[in-house]
Amino acid sequence: MSENPTRRDLFATVARGTVLAVLGGGALFLVKKANGQVVWQVDASRCVNSRLGEVGVTACNLCTTECVVALSAVRAVNEYSRCGRCNICPAYFNITSAVNELGQPSEKLCPRDAIARRPIGKVDPEDPANNFYEYIIDEEKCDGCGKCVMQCKEPLGLGSITLRVRYDKCVNCNRCSISKACPQNALMQLPVSQALQPAGVLRPE
Amino acid sequence: MSGLSKTGRALAAMVALLVLALGSVPSAPAQAMPYQRPVETAPQQDAIGGGYKTPAVQRAVPRDYWLQVLDVVLLGAAMGISVWLVLKRRSRRWLVALAIGSLAYFGFYREGCICPIGSLQNVVVAIADPRYSIPMVVTATFVLPLAVALFFGRAFCGGVCALGAIQELVVLRPVQVPRRLDRALGLLRYVYLGLAVLFAVKPGLARDFLICRFDPFVGFFRRTGAPHMLLLGGAFLVVGMFVGRPYCRYLCPYGGLLAWCARLARRGVSITPGKELDCGLCAGACPYGAIEEMRAVGRNCLYCARCYATCPQDGELAHAKAELVRLKGAAPV
Repeated sequence: MSENPTRRDLFATVARGTVLAVLGGGALFLVKKANGQVVWQVDASRCVNSRLGEVGVTACNLCTTECVVALSAVRAVNEYSRCGRCNICPAYFNITSAVNELGQPSEKLCPRDAIARRPIGKVDPEDPANNFYEYIIDEEKCDGCGKCVMQCKEPLGLGSITLRVRYDKCVNCNRCSISKACPQNALMQLPVSQALQPAGVLRPE
Repeated sequence: MSGLSKTGRALAAMVALLVLALGSVPSAPAQAMPYQRPVETAPQQDAIGGGYKTPAVQRAVPRDYWLQVLDVVLLGAAMGISVWLVLKRRSRRWLVALAIGSLAYFGFYREGCICPIGSLQNVVVAIADPRYSIPMVVTATFVLPLAVALFFGRAFCGGVCALGAIQELVVLRPVQVPRRLDRALGLLRYVYLGLAVLFAVKPGLARDFLICRFDPFVGFFRRTGAPHMLLLGGAFLVVGMFVGRPYCRYLCPYGGLLAWCARLARRGVSITPGKELDCGLCAGACPYGAIEEMRAVGRNCLYCARCYATCPQDGELAHAKAELVRLKGAAPV
C-alpha cells in the first residue's frame, strides 16, 4: 500500500489528518475551558424538607424514589455542631405518638430505624430529660426519605439535619434524575469544594 | 325561657367535661401538650462537658482524580490490547477474555459511567454552551476511541465498550440481515445522534441527555433501574442472540462517528492478506455484515475476530489441521 500510493490512499491520509486536527483542536478548546469536576448537591434552602415554613407537610421523598442508585445517593446528614442534643428530639421520636412512662413518645420517627442516640457529657441516670444526647444517622440504612429533615427545624428543631448527596454512592449522572423530578429545583451542580461544604445556616443566629 | 337556658348551660358543661375526659386519657398525642423547643441554640462541647468531643461529620468525597485518570488510561490500554489481539495475534479467544474484563470493569464495577458514548453529549454541550465545561478526563474519553478508529478501525467496539461486550457475549445464532435492510437500519443511529445533540444543547432545565436516559444496559450494570428500561435491555439481549449486536449497529450514535473515522483507517481488520483462499467461511461467520465481497468493511467491522477464528488458513482450524497431519505422520499404520 505504501510503496504504491493510489489517489484513494492520498485522500485517506489527507482526510485522516484533517479529522485528527479537528479532534485535537476541539479537545484543546475543551481542555482550556475545563474548570474541574462539578457534582450534584441539594440546596437546603430550596428543599421542601429543610426549608423553613414547611412544617406539618408530609415529607417529600422524591430523593428516595427517583435516584438511580439503590436506596438513593441522597442521605440525611446531621451537622453535629448545629444539633440541639435535645432529649425529646422531634426527628428521633414520632412526637405525635403516645407518651410512655419515661415521659417520652413511644415511637421512633425513622421508618428504617437509621438514627441512634446516646447520652453525652455528664450523664444523669435518674432523669433522661436532664441529659444531652448525640444523634448519629447510620447512612448505610438511611434512604433519604426526609422525614427527620422535615421535623428538625423551626419551630421544634434547630435545622441540623439536612439531605446531602453522598459522593461514594452518587454516580454523577449528566442530568440527575432527582433534579428532574424535584418540584423546587433544589438539586444543583456545584464545584466539588463548594458541594462538600455544610448546608447553609437555616436560622439566623 | 330561663329553664331552656339552664338545660343549655348543663349541656355545655357536659360537653366540656366530655372533652376534658377525652383529652386527659393517657393515649393523648404528645403534640397536644404545649411543646417548647428545649434549647434556643445548639450547645457546644464546653456546655455539654464531661470531655465530650463533637464528632466530625461524615462527608464522602467524590472519586479521586487520579482514579478518574486511571479510567482513561485503562480505556487507552484496553484499546491497545484490542488492536494487538485482533491485528497481530488474530485471536478470538483472547479478545473474548478482554471483552469480559472490560464488561466487568467499565460495566459492572464503574457502573457504565463514564463512557465515550455518553461523553458525546457533554462534549456537544461544552462546545455549544459557554457556561458549561467538562473535566479533561471526559474530553479524553471522547477523543481517544475516535483517534484510534482513524488508524486501526473500531477497536473500541471490539473488546472495550461495555455495552458492546454484553451484546458480544450473547450472540448465539446470528442471522445475516439483508444488506439493504442493514443499511437502512444503520441510518437510525444518525437520527438518534441528531436527537441526542438537539436535546443536549437545549438551555437550562430543558436540557436532556437522551443517550444516558435510554441506555438499555446501564440498569444491569447498576443492578437497579426502572422496570421498563430493564425490560428494554432484556429485549435487546434476546434480539441480540439472533441479530448480532443490534444496539451497536443500529442505534449507537457514537458508533456512527466511529464508523466515519474507521472509513479512513490506515490499518483495519483485513481478511488474510496475501494468502486468500476466497472460501467465504469468514463472510458466513461475520454476524455484523462487515464482510462484503470477501473483504472486511472497516466502518462496519466491530473487531470481534470471528473471521480469523473460522479461517482455515489462519485461525484455530489451521492449528487443528496441523495436529491432524502430525498425528497421521506419527501413527504407524
